[in-house]
Amino acid sequence: MLRYVASRLAQGLVVVLGAIAISFLLVNLTGNPADVLGGGFLPPEARAELARNFGYDEPLPARLADYFAGALRADFGVSIRTGEPAAGLVLDALPNTVILVACAMALALAVAVPVSLLSVLRRGRGVDRHVRTTLLLAGSLPDFWVALVLVLVLSVQLGLLPSVGFTGVDSLVIPACALALPLVPALVRLLRGALLDVTEQDFVAALRGRGFGEGYILVRHGLRNAMVPFITLVAFQVGSLIGGTFIVEVVFGWPGIGTLLAGAVAIRDVALVQATVVIVAVAYVLLNLAADLLVAVIDPRVRVTAR
Amino acid sequence: MSGGNRNLRFGLALLAAMVAVGVAGLVALPDPNAQELTATYLPPAEGGHLLGTDGLGRDVLAWVSAGIWISLFIAVAVVALSAAIGVTVGLAAGYLGGVVDALLMRLVDLQLAVPPLLLFIAASAALTPSMGTLIVLLSAAGWLPYARLIRNVVLVERERGYVAAARLAGATRRRLLLVHLLPAASTTALVLSSLEMGLVLLWEAGLSFLGLGITPPHNSLGFLINEGRSTLAAAWWVVVFPGAAVALLVLAFNLIGDGLRDTVHRDVDVIDR
Repeated sequence: MLRYVASRLAQGLVVVLGAIAISFLLVNLTGNPADVLGGGFLPPEARAELARNFGYDEPLPARLADYFAGALRADFGVSIRTGEPAAGLVLDALPNTVILVACAMALALAVAVPVSLLSVLRRGRGVDRHVRTTLLLAGSLPDFWVALVLVLVLSVQLGLLPSVGFTGVDSLVIPACALALPLVPALVRLLRGALLDVTEQDFVAALRGRGFGEGYILVRHGLRNAMVPFITLVAFQVGSLIGGTFIVEVVFGWPGIGTLLAGAVAIRDVALVQATVVIVAVAYVLLNLAADLLVAVIDPRVRVTAR
Repeated sequence: MSGGNRNLRFGLALLAAMVAVGVAGLVALPDPNAQELTATYLPPAEGGHLLGTDGLGRDVLAWVSAGIWISLFIAVAVVALSAAIGVTVGLAAGYLGGVVDALLMRLVDLQLAVPPLLLFIAASAALTPSMGTLIVLLSAAGWLPYARLIRNVVLVERERGYVAAARLAGATRRRLLLVHLLPAASTTALVLSSLEMGLVLLWEAGLSFLGLGITPPHNSLGFLINEGRSTLAAAWWVVVFPGAAVALLVLAFNLIGDGLRDTVHRDVDVIDR
């Protein structure tokens, strides 16, 4: 088990170093940030001054080394808008994004698990086929557009919920629904497949022979056996949710890292963009690590066969 | 499965319908950028504007039909570029193994660690938005799923009897890859391509919505949605119709992909993003 944890940690570290390298390249491949920021209109002294602030007056290897040394201490420099350390700004906004992501994931699971169970119980029949078609449609909708349509119907027409901002639990509902919807198809597809695999195994035939009902077998034995790939997918989806939240947060003016990043990109706030990329990658690696460890705890086969 | 064929047929029909709307725009509709400042925010079906007009009096239907072309062009370009790179790398990694393979797998790990949309947004901080930049940017993330899937197919196929027979008959490595392994991997690539089309359409709409993708004078559907966002309560049609067009295009490709997956009877394992 200890060896498994160590190898997973090492893999995670490689990924984080890669993310740091990417965030460095993003900014440095495109030339002098002073030219990008100043638009080429700066007097030479001001241009040199700005370049020095970014450390751009040094040769590339020295810049790379400096950047890595800073990034590993979570020091990305200061945001050009507020003058505060960029990493701090991202970490302040992170909890709001985490709340939104957690609610969306919980909502998606609350829909996906019962739908999968129902779909397997009535497999091959009308309900099952309708579920499949409906899910194809749900997976085709742009989440930010769903958010706007929900605002139109629920806030504007019916006046049930607040439309923008962060005024309490009410303001979570629409963004969480819009984010949850595109997740459901993949969750159902995987869970349905895994549950179907379980129903073909010998021990399920034995349970049936002992007179247990199909619903009982699926809930008590099916879900547990389908758990391993499911946890991995959920962790993966939380990662893609972090991508999806960026646009939905902008729609609602939600004070998370999406809104922060959109603002940073608009004014080319390099330090803030870099800090966001690296911190999200670290959060994502930790999340996947937690999922892998959880799987290893649940399923002993994983810790024996894994490197 | 008949269900699969039905999905495939329905998807193709839907795609044809969307293309027809695009063609209608070229043939019969006004210039989508033509402003008519005396006819702003006309509701659908008023003043000869079937889907209404936006805040500058531009015809929403004309914009949508032009947007369909832009969306399709970007998606086809990105998928073609991604497939070309990804299939080549996947064939090489699966057949040659060793360093190429190890490098590829680390790259895939890395991509899985950073949500692609985050990378696109971050890259926009450094790049100026244009159609070319957008295509390159989306392809830079799009080729990895091809490489990973094709590699897995090749790892299985290379152990099969017909490959050994071909090798025994004196086939060169080049011939093995192009004549034997490439066709074996092509159905996987085809199914993945139609699913990737949907994904790229959603990415493009999202980035254009944020103002980081396609910008005027090109008529992106995502851009129009963003434009209508501030007047959502007064003029819903500026938001609803372009978004519905994106959704229908994505649905068409998802149906085609789903139908193909059933038709070729190969379980293509595509991780949903």
